[in-house]
Amino acid sequence: MDYILEGILQAVALLASGNAETLSAVAATLKVSSVSMAASLVIGLPLGFWLGYHRFPGKRAVRTVVDTLLSLPTVLVGLIVYALISQRGPLGEMGLLFTLPGIALGQAILAIPVVVALTATAVESMDRQLSVTLRSLGADRRQLLLSTLWETRFGILAAAVTAYGRVMTEVGISMMVGGNIKWHTRTMTTAIALETNKGMFAMGVALGLVLLAIAFAVNISVSFLRRRAR
Amino acid sequence: MNRFFFRFALIAVWAGILFLTAGAVGAQQTLMMATTTSTDNTGLLDSLIPEFTKDTGIELKWTATGTGKALKLGENCDVDVLLVHAPAAEKKYVADGFGINRRQVMYNDFVLIGPAADPAGIKGKTVRGALEAIRAGQQIFVSRGDNSGTHKQELALWQAAEGPVPEKEPWYVQTGQGMLTTINVAAERSGYTMTDRGTYIKYEATLNGNPPLKILVEGDDILLNQYSVITVNPTRCPTVKADLAETFSRWMIGERAQNLIGDFKLLGKQLFTPNAAK
Amino acid sequence: MTLPASPIFRIEALEQRYAGRRVLHVPSLEIAPGAIVGLMGPNGSGKSTLLRLLGFIEAPSRGRILFKGSPAGPFDARIRSRVTLLPQDPYLMNRSVFDNVAYGLKLRGQRSDAAGRVHRALAAVGLAPARFARRPWYALSGGEAQRVALAARLALEPEVLLMDEPTASVDAESAERIRQAALAARDHWGTTLIVASHDWSWLFEVCDIVWHLYAGTVFPTGTRTFLPGPWIPGPDHRWHRPLADGQHLVVPAGTDPSAPAYIESHRLRLTRQPVTGQGRVVLKGTVLRLALIRRTGQVVVTAAVGELALTAVLEPEVLRKEGMAPGDAISVAYPPEAVAWIDAT
Repeated sequence: MDYILEGILQAVALLASGNAETLSAVAATLKVSSVSMAASLVIGLPLGFWLGYHRFPGKRAVRTVVDTLLSLPTVLVGLIVYALISQRGPLGEMGLLFTLPGIALGQAILAIPVVVALTATAVESMDRQLSVTLRSLGADRRQLLLSTLWETRFGILAAAVTAYGRVMTEVGISMMVGGNIKWHTRTMTTAIALETNKGMFAMGVALGLVLLAIAFAVNISVSFLRRRAR
Repeated sequence: MNRFFFRFALIAVWAGILFLTAGAVGAQQTLMMATTTSTDNTGLLDSLIPEFTKDTGIELKWTATGTGKALKLGENCDVDVLLVHAPAAEKKYVADGFGINRRQVMYNDFVLIGPAADPAGIKGKTVRGALEAIRAGQQIFVSRGDNSGTHKQELALWQAAEGPVPEKEPWYVQTGQGMLTTINVAAERSGYTMTDRGTYIKYEATLNGNPPLKILVEGDDILLNQYSVITVNPTRCPTVKADLAETFSRWMIGERAQNLIGDFKLLGKQLFTPNAAK
Repeated sequence: MTLPASPIFRIEALEQRYAGRRVLHVPSLEIAPGAIVGLMGPNGSGKSTLLRLLGFIEAPSRGRILFKGSPAGPFDARIRSRVTLLPQDPYLMNRSVFDNVAYGLKLRGQRSDAAGRVHRALAAVGLAPARFARRPWYALSGGEAQRVALAARLALEPEVLLMDEPTASVDAESAERIRQAALAARDHWGTTLIVASHDWSWLFEVCDIVWHLYAGTVFPTGTRTFLPGPWIPGPDHRWHRPLADGQHLVVPAGTDPSAPAYIESHRLRLTRQPVTGQGRVVLKGTVLRLALIRRTGQVVVTAAVGELALTAVLEPEVLRKEGMAPGDAISVAYPPEAVAWIDAT
């Protein structure tokens, strides 16, 4: 039990003193999760919107597949991405292994189903009348799309926050693809795994608290945005 | 207007955080190494590698895994150089053409540790006698079970004790995890395990010198743990930076690195003994 | 009603199918500019579908609709914001009343006098702009929300306003405001109004023409008078529809109790003298309205019978002989065997 208390004290000390290793891991986490989030939003939002907006044969099956992908194990994604970007793999020449972009690739694969599924749900749960209303008020195709997106912005925001949470807290991909290289690809989560492996439980708890603080800051920002938009 | 300002401020704050925390990436030549958890967890590389970079201008990144995965990373051309400790597997690896220029660098030794009460009474015995006693007493024995160098070494000990590896025995626990985790599991279960001395010293240190598990068997020849550096074969893997790897390999067996290894101490105890061929 | 040379809508061989099932079939129909057309019929008869097609919200499976003489479809720049539909459930977006009403203007990119238009539209539906413009969308009653939704259409000064049950779920005051605002639009801008409703006061006091929809088929009220259900089996093996004042519509037993029956108008006898049975069904009623069909010289007589308004088309000489005027008490008589059922197949 002691190490939890010790961890809390250590977390405060780490942040207050600007510990370089901790900051490096925080930076790696923020950088890689921002890139992966941007990529998954760019790819996932249109797909999710399309999936939620249109009715087509086989839609239920596609939804089931996407919903299943929501619980993609991170180690499986890590393994697949490793196989892809290893020098022996089809994308080996891009030199992504043991780099932050490599981790971001894996995390984007992890996050895209979350973004797609939640965006589709948000669009589906949107009042069907919205489309009729917009068109009856003279919206053209582009305005219809943009206005519908805008009306579902909170659902989409929720999708992004959920995906961000999944991306920021995953360890399997960061470890397998990133290699937990100090100063480079060591993220908060791989640092926690390492410290725990080394028996430094208090340090692990401290880093975990830092991660929690970041998540808290992100959510505060989002709910703040949401309140302002009312 | 207000709304706009708040959003702008929020975005600016996040952008600032990202910018400030973004470390500058040096344009140095970089070398990628796969190594074992023992060299990383003990802090040896943290003290050794900055010196290497200072001497050669080469940046070295390493990923610490089990020896099995480290060898696989080399086989897949994903790293340039290996620092591992599984001599038999390494020799086969070189013979199979995956690696070249295998050079012995240093050794540490393995020890058998167990609860201070020592229910199987192995203290002071030979490795063979100790393992036979554990088997006879059906005492908990915790194994890495992860195909790492340490795990391979442990399997070799069981074979040397002329009994089958107790793979399926209820008292034989395989963690599939790193050395320190495995020691912690052994401590939780009041069992025995085999560890490299370096990790044990580190473990001892984190518990302020009073761990529940003590060294019970040490010094047997069979417990020697030889580390070697291997360059990934550039003819198989054209992307491998063989010249940088060779520089590193030679630096490791050089006098300066050998002295640094010998001087590396944890809690005043030497962990590794340099033994590069002169 | 006359049908001028250039109808605002001309429907040609229109057919709409949902999941392979035909829900609407209109071989040919025209609507004159400035007309007020009422659509009546049971739920699921195709009224809303017809409105969505005329509003160019959805495209037909087959056939086409000509708007002012040329074919039009969804998203045509020519008809956007000139033809507007007020759907049955008002949908307001998460924003203020003002922004909801101004939304169509914003979509159209119209900035000049937007505020003025919004305020006039709100005033037209009886919502004081000073009190309502800044209200959030959720701080409205059902009737107020419906009026805001209508105001959003009126702000566009549309050429065609389609309304799907505009007063079905609102209080009496809102219903009256909605009616007046729609009629004012017709008076000010010559807006063509097309209204689906179960509200008899709409259909027979406001509309120039009433079309009856049943099972996806449109029956223009003309030489036929519709006797709407629902029907219940009576003791005489015929079907009855009890009216609010205790009288019964009586028809031969049919197959669908919700279907409307019809009778050829010339078999329907409207007379000021009391008539006796002689095998006929006799109902007491009041003349509501007389309207001339200029093209044929016939007169449409709308008579209130119970809560219904029956519309009969009479030859002018019959009318002259009877000397009928709105407000007169009359008898409506018909032989029940002359009543037929709509064949919807």
